[in-house]
Amino acid sequence: MSLVNYAAREITCKIVYYGPGRSGKTSNLHYVYNQVPGDRRGSMVSLATQTDRTLFFDFLPLDLGSISGFTTRLQLYTVPGQVYYATTRKLVLQGADGVVFVADSQRRQIDENVESMQDLHANLAEQGVDARNVPLVIQYNKQDLPRELTMDVPELDDVLNFRGVPFHAGDALRGTGVFETLRSISELVLRRLSGAAAPRVAVGQ
Amino acid sequence: MSKTPYAELLSMLSRHRGVVGSFVVSERDGLAVDSNVQIGVHAEAVAALAASLHRKARLACGAAGCGVVTFLRLDAEKGGICAAGRDDLVLVTISEARANIGLLRVEMMRAAKALT
Amino acid sequence: MKFINDSRVRIAVLLESSGRVLAQHGFTRSIDVMSACALAAAIHASAAEIGRQLDGTPFTTLHHPGHERQIFLGELSTGRGAHILLTVFDDATSIGLVRLYFAELSRRLAVATTTPAAPPSFVDFESDLNRNLAKLFGRI
Repeated sequence: MSLVNYAAREITCKIVYYGPGRSGKTSNLHYVYNQVPGDRRGSMVSLATQTDRTLFFDFLPLDLGSISGFTTRLQLYTVPGQVYYATTRKLVLQGADGVVFVADSQRRQIDENVESMQDLHANLAEQGVDARNVPLVIQYNKQDLPRELTMDVPELDDVLNFRGVPFHAGDALRGTGVFETLRSISELVLRRLSGAAAPRVAVGQ
Repeated sequence: MSKTPYAELLSMLSRHRGVVGSFVVSERDGLAVDSNVQIGVHAEAVAALAASLHRKARLACGAAGCGVVTFLRLDAEKGGICAAGRDDLVLVTISEARANIGLLRVEMMRAAKALT
Repeated sequence: MKFINDSRVRIAVLLESSGRVLAQHGFTRSIDVMSACALAAAIHASAAEIGRQLDGTPFTTLHHPGHERQIFLGELSTGRGAHILLTVFDDATSIGLVRLYFAELSRRLAVATTTPAAPPSFVDFESDLNRNLAKLFGRI
Protein backbone atom coordinates (compact mmCIF):
# COMPACT_ATOMS: atom_id res chain seq x y z
CA MET A 1 0.00 0.00 0.00
CA SER A 2 1.36 3.42 -0.96
CA LEU A 3 2.53 5.51 1.93
CA VAL A 4 0.73 8.84 2.19
CA ASN A 5 1.99 11.44 4.66
CA TYR A 6 -0.78 14.02 4.91
CA ALA A 7 1.12 16.32 7.26
CA ALA A 8 4.06 16.61 4.86
CA ARG A 9 1.83 16.03 1.79
CA GLU A 10 4.09 13.28 0.51
CA ILE A 11 3.35 10.04 -1.29
CA THR A 12 5.77 7.16 -1.69
CA CYS A 13 5.03 4.33 -4.09
CA LYS A 14 6.94 1.06 -4.44
CA ILE A 15 7.21 -0.29 -7.96
CA VAL A 16 8.81 -3.68 -8.57
CA TYR A 17 10.29 -4.74 -11.91
CA TYR A 18 9.65 -8.48 -12.16
CA GLY A 19 10.54 -11.03 -14.83
CA PRO A 20 12.83 -13.89 -15.75
CA GLY A 21 16.62 -13.73 -15.48
CA ARG A 22 18.36 -11.49 -18.03
CA SER A 23 15.10 -10.06 -19.35
CA GLY A 24 16.30 -6.48 -18.84
CA LYS A 25 14.92 -5.36 -15.47
CA THR A 26 18.21 -3.87 -14.31
CA SER A 27 18.71 -2.29 -17.76
CA ASN A 28 15.40 -0.45 -17.29
CA LEU A 29 16.62 1.03 -14.02
CA HIS A 30 20.03 1.88 -15.47
CA TYR A 31 18.40 3.76 -18.32
CA VAL A 32 16.15 5.68 -15.92
CA TYR A 33 19.13 6.44 -13.68
CA ASN A 34 21.16 7.80 -16.58
CA GLN A 35 18.35 9.95 -17.94
CA VAL A 36 17.12 11.54 -14.73
CA PRO A 37 18.84 14.69 -13.37
CA GLY A 38 20.93 14.06 -10.24
CA ASP A 39 18.78 16.22 -7.99
CA ARG A 40 15.69 14.12 -8.77
CA ARG A 41 17.15 10.73 -7.99
CA GLY A 42 19.10 9.01 -5.24
CA SER A 43 22.06 6.76 -5.85
CA MET A 44 21.29 3.45 -7.48
CA VAL A 45 21.85 0.58 -5.11
CA SER A 46 22.72 -2.72 -6.75
CA LEU A 47 23.25 -5.84 -4.73
CA ALA A 48 24.77 -7.91 -7.49
CA THR A 49 27.07 -10.89 -7.93
CA GLN A 50 30.61 -10.51 -9.28
CA THR A 51 29.23 -11.12 -12.74
CA ASP A 52 26.69 -8.31 -12.34
CA ARG A 53 23.70 -10.61 -11.99
CA THR A 54 21.21 -9.22 -9.50
CA LEU A 55 21.72 -11.01 -6.19
CA PHE A 56 19.11 -9.35 -3.99
CA PHE A 57 17.73 -6.30 -5.78
CA ASP A 58 18.50 -3.07 -7.55
CA PHE A 59 16.97 0.02 -6.05
CA LEU A 60 16.46 3.48 -7.45
CA PRO A 61 14.55 6.22 -5.63
CA LEU A 62 13.04 8.94 -7.81
CA ASP A 63 11.58 12.27 -6.85
CA LEU A 64 8.69 12.65 -9.26
CA GLY A 65 7.74 16.17 -8.20
CA SER A 66 4.34 17.53 -7.19
CA ILE A 67 1.22 15.69 -8.27
CA SER A 68 -2.11 17.15 -7.20
CA GLY A 69 -0.25 19.00 -4.45
CA PHE A 70 1.55 15.93 -3.10
CA THR A 71 5.32 15.51 -3.34
CA THR A 72 5.46 12.13 -5.00
CA ARG A 73 8.34 9.69 -4.79
CA LEU A 74 8.79 6.42 -6.60
CA GLN A 75 10.91 3.59 -5.32
CA LEU A 76 11.92 1.34 -8.18
CA TYR A 77 13.09 -2.17 -7.32
CA THR A 78 14.12 -5.11 -9.45
CA VAL A 79 14.03 -8.72 -8.32
CA PRO A 80 16.66 -11.34 -9.16
CA GLY A 81 15.25 -13.35 -12.03
CA GLN A 82 16.92 -16.71 -11.57
CA VAL A 83 14.67 -19.47 -10.30
CA TYR A 84 16.79 -20.22 -7.22
CA TYR A 85 16.34 -16.72 -5.79
CA ALA A 86 12.65 -17.43 -5.08
CA THR A 87 12.82 -16.37 -1.43
CA THR A 88 14.50 -13.08 -2.27
CA ARG A 89 11.88 -12.30 -4.89
CA LYS A 90 9.15 -12.75 -2.31
CA LEU A 91 10.89 -10.38 0.09
CA VAL A 92 11.34 -7.66 -2.52
CA LEU A 93 7.77 -8.02 -3.75
CA GLN A 94 6.40 -7.42 -0.27
CA GLY A 95 4.34 -4.21 -0.13
CA ALA A 96 4.60 -3.45 -3.86
CA ASP A 97 2.13 -0.86 -5.11
CA GLY A 98 2.68 -1.79 -8.72
CA VAL A 99 4.56 -4.33 -10.82
CA VAL A 100 6.27 -4.01 -14.17
CA PHE A 101 6.71 -7.41 -15.76
CA VAL A 102 9.71 -7.30 -18.06
CA ALA A 103 9.39 -10.16 -20.54
CA ASP A 104 12.21 -11.39 -22.74
CA SER A 105 10.95 -11.34 -26.34
CA GLN A 106 13.34 -14.05 -27.49
CA ARG A 107 11.42 -17.05 -28.80
CA ARG A 108 13.54 -19.49 -26.77
CA GLN A 109 12.70 -17.63 -23.54
CA ILE A 110 8.94 -18.01 -23.73
CA ASP A 111 8.80 -20.81 -21.15
CA GLU A 112 10.85 -18.71 -18.70
CA ASN A 113 8.47 -15.78 -19.23
CA VAL A 114 5.41 -17.92 -18.51
CA GLU A 115 7.05 -19.49 -15.48
CA SER A 116 8.03 -16.08 -14.10
CA MET A 117 4.52 -14.68 -14.62
CA GLN A 118 3.09 -17.68 -12.75
CA ASP A 119 5.70 -17.18 -10.03
CA LEU A 120 4.62 -13.53 -9.68
CA HIS A 121 0.99 -14.49 -9.21
CA ALA A 122 1.86 -17.29 -6.80
CA ASN A 123 4.01 -14.96 -4.69
CA LEU A 124 1.31 -12.29 -4.56
CA ALA A 125 -1.24 -14.90 -3.55
CA GLU A 126 1.10 -16.18 -0.85
CA GLN A 127 1.25 -12.65 0.57
CA GLY A 128 -2.53 -12.55 0.67
CA VAL A 129 -2.73 -10.12 -2.23
CA ASP A 130 -5.28 -10.54 -5.00
CA ALA A 131 -3.11 -10.22 -8.09
CA ARG A 132 -6.04 -8.74 -10.03
CA ASN A 133 -5.95 -5.70 -7.75
CA VAL A 134 -2.24 -5.01 -8.18
CA PRO A 135 -1.43 -2.53 -10.96
CA LEU A 136 0.56 -4.39 -13.59
CA VAL A 137 2.23 -3.28 -16.81
CA ILE A 138 4.05 -5.62 -19.18
CA GLN A 139 7.11 -4.62 -21.18
CA TYR A 140 8.11 -6.88 -24.08
CA ASN A 141 11.80 -6.18 -24.01
CA LYS A 142 14.52 -6.93 -26.58
CA GLN A 143 12.27 -6.15 -29.53
CA ASP A 144 15.38 -4.74 -31.22
CA LEU A 145 16.81 -8.25 -31.71
CA PRO A 146 16.55 -9.86 -35.18
CA ARG A 147 12.99 -10.89 -36.03
CA GLU A 148 13.96 -14.54 -36.49
CA LEU A 149 15.00 -14.70 -32.82
CA THR A 150 12.04 -12.92 -31.27
CA MET A 151 8.30 -13.24 -30.99
CA ASP A 152 6.35 -10.17 -32.01
CA VAL A 153 4.27 -8.22 -29.52
CA PRO A 154 0.77 -9.58 -30.37
CA GLU A 155 2.15 -13.11 -30.20
CA LEU A 156 3.69 -12.49 -26.77
CA ASP A 157 0.58 -10.70 -25.59
CA ASP A 158 -1.52 -13.74 -26.43
CA VAL A 159 0.62 -15.91 -24.19
CA LEU A 160 1.38 -13.59 -21.27
CA ASN A 161 -1.24 -10.88 -21.03
CA PHE A 162 -4.26 -12.86 -19.93
CA ARG A 163 -5.37 -9.97 -17.72
CA GLY A 164 -5.36 -7.50 -20.59
CA VAL A 165 -3.08 -5.03 -18.80
CA PRO A 166 -1.23 -2.16 -20.53
CA PHE A 167 1.88 -3.28 -22.40
CA HIS A 168 4.80 -1.72 -24.23
CA ALA A 169 7.41 -2.95 -26.65
CA GLY A 170 10.88 -2.23 -25.31
CA ASP A 171 14.57 -2.02 -25.94
CA ALA A 172 15.76 -1.15 -22.46
CA LEU A 173 19.42 -0.81 -23.44
CA ARG A 174 18.57 2.08 -25.77
CA GLY A 175 15.61 3.30 -23.73
CA THR A 176 12.80 2.41 -26.08
CA GLY A 177 9.63 1.88 -24.08
CA VAL A 178 11.30 2.54 -20.71
CA PHE A 179 9.74 5.95 -20.20
CA GLU A 180 6.34 4.77 -21.47
CA THR A 181 6.39 1.76 -19.14
CA LEU A 182 7.21 3.91 -16.12
CA ARG A 183 4.51 6.39 -17.09
CA SER A 184 1.91 3.61 -17.40
CA ILE A 185 2.68 1.98 -14.08
CA SER A 186 2.86 5.34 -12.26
CA GLU A 187 -0.53 6.27 -13.65
CA LEU A 188 -2.10 2.96 -12.62
CA VAL A 189 -0.62 3.16 -9.12
CA LEU A 190 -1.74 6.75 -8.54
CA ARG A 191 -5.15 6.05 -10.01
CA ARG A 192 -5.58 3.10 -7.65
CA LEU A 193 -4.39 5.21 -4.72
CA SER A 194 -7.00 7.88 -5.40
CA GLY A 195 -9.66 5.20 -5.57
CA ALA A 196 -10.61 6.15 -9.10
CA ALA A 197 -11.83 3.53 -11.53
CA ALA A 198 -9.18 1.74 -13.53
CA PRO A 199 -8.54 3.35 -16.87
CA ARG A 200 -9.48 1.74 -20.12
CA VAL A 201 -6.59 -0.45 -21.09
CA ALA A 202 -4.34 1.49 -23.37
CA VAL A 203 -2.45 -0.44 -25.98
CA GLY A 204 0.96 1.13 -26.32
CA GLN A 205 3.86 0.02 -28.43
CA MET B 1 21.84 -16.81 32.00
CA SER B 2 24.17 -19.82 31.86
CA LYS B 3 26.96 -20.19 34.39
CA THR B 4 30.02 -18.05 33.60
CA PRO B 5 33.41 -17.60 35.35
CA TYR B 6 31.82 -14.69 37.24
CA ALA B 7 28.97 -16.66 38.82
CA GLU B 8 30.80 -17.35 42.10
CA LEU B 9 32.01 -13.79 42.43
CA LEU B 10 28.53 -12.35 41.86
CA SER B 11 26.98 -14.83 44.24
CA MET B 12 29.42 -13.76 46.92
CA LEU B 13 28.60 -10.07 46.43
CA SER B 14 24.86 -10.71 46.40
CA ARG B 15 25.11 -12.41 49.80
CA HIS B 16 26.04 -9.07 51.40
CA ARG B 17 23.31 -7.56 53.53
CA GLY B 18 21.17 -5.12 51.51
CA VAL B 19 22.60 -6.04 48.09
CA VAL B 20 19.74 -6.72 45.67
CA GLY B 21 21.76 -7.30 42.56
CA SER B 22 25.26 -7.58 41.14
CA PHE B 23 26.47 -7.64 37.54
CA VAL B 24 29.52 -7.88 35.38
CA VAL B 25 28.93 -5.48 32.53
CA SER B 26 30.83 -4.69 29.36
CA GLU B 27 31.42 -0.94 29.45
CA ARG B 28 31.64 -0.62 25.68
CA ASP B 29 28.47 -2.58 24.91
CA GLY B 30 26.43 -1.81 28.01
CA LEU B 31 25.42 -5.46 28.09
CA ALA B 32 25.45 -7.67 31.17
CA VAL B 33 28.03 -10.45 30.85
CA ASP B 34 26.60 -12.12 33.94
CA SER B 35 24.20 -11.09 36.67
CA ASN B 36 22.81 -12.20 40.00
CA VAL B 37 19.72 -10.16 40.80
CA GLN B 38 16.62 -10.40 42.92
CA ILE B 39 13.22 -10.59 41.28
CA GLY B 40 12.01 -7.13 40.30
CA VAL B 41 15.42 -5.74 39.37
CA HIS B 42 15.48 -4.77 35.70
CA ALA B 43 18.94 -6.21 35.02
CA GLU B 44 19.31 -5.14 31.38
CA ALA B 45 18.34 -1.54 32.08
CA VAL B 46 20.60 -1.18 35.11
CA ALA B 47 23.50 -2.82 33.25
CA ALA B 48 23.21 -0.46 30.28
CA LEU B 49 22.83 2.67 32.39
CA ALA B 50 25.54 1.73 34.92
CA ALA B 51 28.00 1.02 32.09
CA SER B 52 27.23 4.43 30.64
CA LEU B 53 27.71 6.00 34.08
CA HIS B 54 31.07 4.31 34.55
CA ARG B 55 32.23 5.39 31.12
CA LYS B 56 31.33 9.02 31.83
CA ALA B 57 33.08 8.86 35.19
CA ARG B 58 36.19 7.42 33.53
CA LEU B 59 36.19 10.16 30.89
CA ALA B 60 35.57 12.88 33.49
CA CYS B 61 38.43 11.65 35.68
CA GLY B 62 40.68 11.42 32.65
CA ALA B 63 39.80 14.97 31.58
CA ALA B 64 40.31 16.26 35.11
CA GLY B 65 43.71 14.61 35.35
CA CYS B 66 42.62 12.36 38.21
CA GLY B 67 43.80 9.19 36.53
CA VAL B 68 42.00 5.88 36.37
CA VAL B 69 38.64 5.47 38.11
CA THR B 70 38.94 2.84 40.82
CA PHE B 71 35.55 2.99 42.48
CA LEU B 72 32.28 4.75 41.77
CA ARG B 73 29.57 5.19 44.37
CA LEU B 74 26.18 6.72 43.74
CA ASP B 75 23.95 7.33 46.77
CA ALA B 76 20.21 7.72 46.34
CA GLU B 77 17.16 8.09 48.56
CA LYS B 78 16.51 4.37 48.97
CA GLY B 79 19.86 2.85 48.23
CA GLY B 80 22.72 3.18 45.82
CA ILE B 81 24.81 1.86 42.98
CA CYS B 82 28.50 0.99 43.21
CA ALA B 83 30.83 0.21 40.33
CA ALA B 84 34.44 -0.92 40.06
CA GLY B 85 36.00 -1.50 36.66
CA ARG B 86 38.91 -3.25 35.05
CA ASP B 87 39.58 -2.65 31.36
CA ASP B 88 36.24 -3.03 29.57
CA LEU B 89 34.54 -4.97 32.36
CA VAL B 90 32.70 -3.26 35.20
CA LEU B 91 31.45 -4.85 38.36
CA VAL B 92 28.18 -3.22 39.47
CA THR B 93 26.10 -3.68 42.59
CA ILE B 94 22.70 -2.30 43.53
CA SER B 95 22.08 -2.02 47.22
CA GLU B 96 19.45 -0.84 49.69
CA ALA B 97 20.16 1.94 52.19
CA ARG B 98 20.89 -0.60 54.95
CA ALA B 99 23.87 -2.11 53.11
CA ASN B 100 27.37 -1.76 54.58
CA ILE B 101 28.98 0.13 51.71
CA GLY B 102 32.43 0.14 53.32
CA LEU B 103 32.59 -3.63 53.43
CA LEU B 104 31.01 -3.90 49.99
CA ARG B 105 33.62 -1.52 48.59
CA VAL B 106 36.49 -3.66 49.88
CA GLU B 107 34.94 -6.80 48.42
CA MET B 108 34.24 -5.12 45.08
CA MET B 109 37.75 -3.68 44.76
CA ARG B 110 39.19 -7.11 45.43
CA ALA B 111 36.79 -8.79 43.01
CA ALA B 112 37.41 -6.21 40.30
CA LYS B 113 41.09 -7.13 40.28
CA ALA B 114 40.09 -10.67 39.39
CA LEU B 115 38.04 -9.56 36.38
CA THR B 116 39.60 -10.58 33.10
CA MET C 1 12.74 12.58 19.47
CA LYS C 2 12.68 11.19 22.98
CA PHE C 3 14.30 7.99 21.75
CA ILE C 4 17.03 9.94 19.94
CA ASN C 5 17.75 12.18 22.93
CA ASP C 6 17.81 9.29 25.39
CA SER C 7 19.72 6.76 23.35
CA ARG C 8 22.10 9.29 21.71
CA VAL C 9 22.04 7.56 18.35
CA ARG C 10 23.27 9.52 15.32
CA ILE C 11 20.68 8.27 12.86
CA ALA C 12 17.24 6.84 13.50
CA VAL C 13 14.74 5.89 10.81
CA LEU C 14 11.34 4.34 11.30
CA LEU C 15 10.27 2.41 8.23
CA GLU C 16 7.68 0.01 6.99
CA SER C 17 8.71 -3.58 6.43
CA SER C 18 8.39 -2.94 2.68
CA GLY C 19 11.16 -0.32 2.99
CA ARG C 20 9.16 2.90 2.96
CA VAL C 21 10.22 5.71 5.29
CA LEU C 22 7.83 6.80 8.03
CA ALA C 23 10.04 9.16 10.04
CA GLN C 24 13.73 9.92 10.19
CA HIS C 25 16.41 11.83 12.04
CA GLY C 26 19.99 12.30 10.90
CA PHE C 27 19.85 12.28 7.10
CA THR C 28 19.98 15.54 5.19
CA ARG C 29 18.55 14.38 1.84
CA SER C 30 15.24 12.55 1.95
CA ILE C 31 16.15 10.61 -1.17
CA ASP C 32 19.21 9.14 0.60
CA VAL C 33 17.00 7.87 3.40
CA MET C 34 15.10 5.78 0.89
CA SER C 35 18.21 3.85 -0.13
CA ALA C 36 19.11 3.22 3.50
CA CYS C 37 15.57 2.03 4.18
CA ALA C 38 15.52 -0.30 1.18
CA LEU C 39 18.71 -1.91 2.46
CA ALA C 40 17.51 -2.00 6.08
CA ALA C 41 14.25 -3.65 5.06
CA ALA C 42 16.22 -6.19 3.04
CA ILE C 43 18.55 -7.01 5.96
CA HIS C 44 15.63 -7.31 8.33
CA ALA C 45 13.58 -9.45 5.95
CA SER C 46 16.57 -11.71 5.31
CA ALA C 47 17.31 -12.21 9.00
CA ALA C 48 13.65 -12.89 9.71
CA GLU C 49 13.51 -15.40 6.87
CA ILE C 50 16.64 -17.21 8.11
CA GLY C 51 14.96 -17.52 11.52
CA ARG C 52 11.79 -18.84 9.92
CA GLN C 53 13.71 -21.42 7.97
CA LEU C 54 15.67 -22.53 11.04
CA ASP C 55 12.83 -23.08 13.49
CA GLY C 56 9.83 -21.13 12.24
CA THR C 57 10.54 -18.13 14.48
CA PRO C 58 11.76 -14.96 12.75
CA PHE C 59 14.61 -12.95 14.23
CA THR C 60 13.30 -9.53 15.18
CA THR C 61 16.43 -7.58 16.09
CA LEU C 62 19.87 -7.39 14.54
CA HIS C 63 23.11 -5.68 15.58
CA HIS C 64 26.16 -5.03 13.41
CA PRO C 65 29.10 -3.70 15.43
CA GLY C 66 31.69 -1.85 13.37
CA HIS C 67 34.94 -0.21 14.44
CA GLU C 68 33.46 3.26 14.82
CA ARG C 69 29.81 2.96 13.83
CA GLN C 70 27.27 0.34 14.72
CA ILE C 71 23.87 -0.55 13.32
CA PHE C 72 20.91 -1.78 15.28
CA LEU C 73 17.74 -2.91 13.54
CA GLY C 74 14.64 -3.84 15.48
CA GLU C 75 11.05 -4.70 14.74
CA LEU C 76 8.31 -2.70 16.43
CA SER C 77 4.64 -3.61 16.62
CA THR C 78 2.35 -0.63 16.18
CA GLY C 79 -1.34 -0.02 15.69
CA ARG C 80 -0.59 -0.13 11.96
CA GLY C 81 1.32 -3.40 11.93
CA ALA C 82 5.01 -4.22 12.19
CA HIS C 83 7.55 -1.49 11.51
CA ILE C 84 11.34 -1.45 11.62
CA LEU C 85 13.64 0.95 13.44
CA LEU C 86 17.06 1.47 11.88
CA THR C 87 19.64 3.19 14.08
CA VAL C 88 23.26 4.09 13.51
CA PHE C 89 25.34 5.02 16.53
CA ASP C 90 28.93 5.52 17.64
CA ASP C 91 30.77 5.39 20.94
CA ALA C 92 28.60 8.18 22.39
CA THR C 93 26.27 5.36 23.42
CA SER C 94 26.22 1.57 23.56
CA ILE C 95 24.17 -1.29 22.19
CA GLY C 96 22.86 -1.89 25.71
CA LEU C 97 21.47 1.64 25.94
CA VAL C 98 20.08 1.52 22.41
CA ARG C 99 18.31 -1.75 23.19
CA LEU C 100 17.01 -0.32 26.45
CA TYR C 101 15.44 2.74 24.82
CA PHE C 102 14.32 0.70 21.83
CA ALA C 103 12.29 -1.47 24.22
CA GLU C 104 10.78 1.68 25.73
CA LEU C 105 9.94 3.08 22.29
CA SER C 106 8.41 -0.24 21.35
CA ARG C 107 6.12 -0.13 24.39
CA ARG C 108 5.06 3.44 23.61
CA LEU C 109 4.34 2.75 19.96
CA ALA C 110 2.39 -0.40 20.76
CA VAL C 111 -0.23 1.62 22.62
CA ALA C 112 -0.26 4.55 20.19
CA THR C 113 -3.35 4.52 18.05
CA THR C 114 -3.70 5.88 14.57
CA THR C 115 -6.74 6.78 12.58
CA PRO C 116 -6.60 5.68 8.97
CA ALA C 117 -6.91 8.68 6.67
CA ALA C 118 -9.06 8.93 3.60
CA PRO C 119 -7.26 8.46 0.27
CA PRO C 120 -6.01 11.64 -1.38
CA SER C 121 -8.14 12.97 -4.17
CA PHE C 122 -6.22 13.08 -7.44
CA VAL C 123 -8.40 14.97 -9.84
CA ASP C 124 -6.89 15.18 -13.30
CA PHE C 125 -3.51 14.06 -12.01
CA GLU C 126 -2.50 12.78 -15.45
CA SER C 127 -1.31 16.19 -16.63
CA ASP C 128 0.85 16.60 -13.47
CA LEU C 129 2.22 13.09 -13.91
CA ASN C 130 3.02 13.55 -17.60
CA ARG C 131 4.66 16.92 -16.98
CA ASN C 132 6.83 15.58 -14.14
CA LEU C 133 7.84 12.41 -15.95
CA ALA C 134 8.68 14.38 -19.08
CA LYS C 135 10.77 16.73 -16.93
CA LEU C 136 12.54 13.77 -15.34
CA PHE C 137 13.47 12.34 -18.71
CA GLY C 138 14.45 15.70 -20.12
CA ARG C 139 11.75 15.66 -22.79
CA ILE C 140 10.54 19.21 -22.27
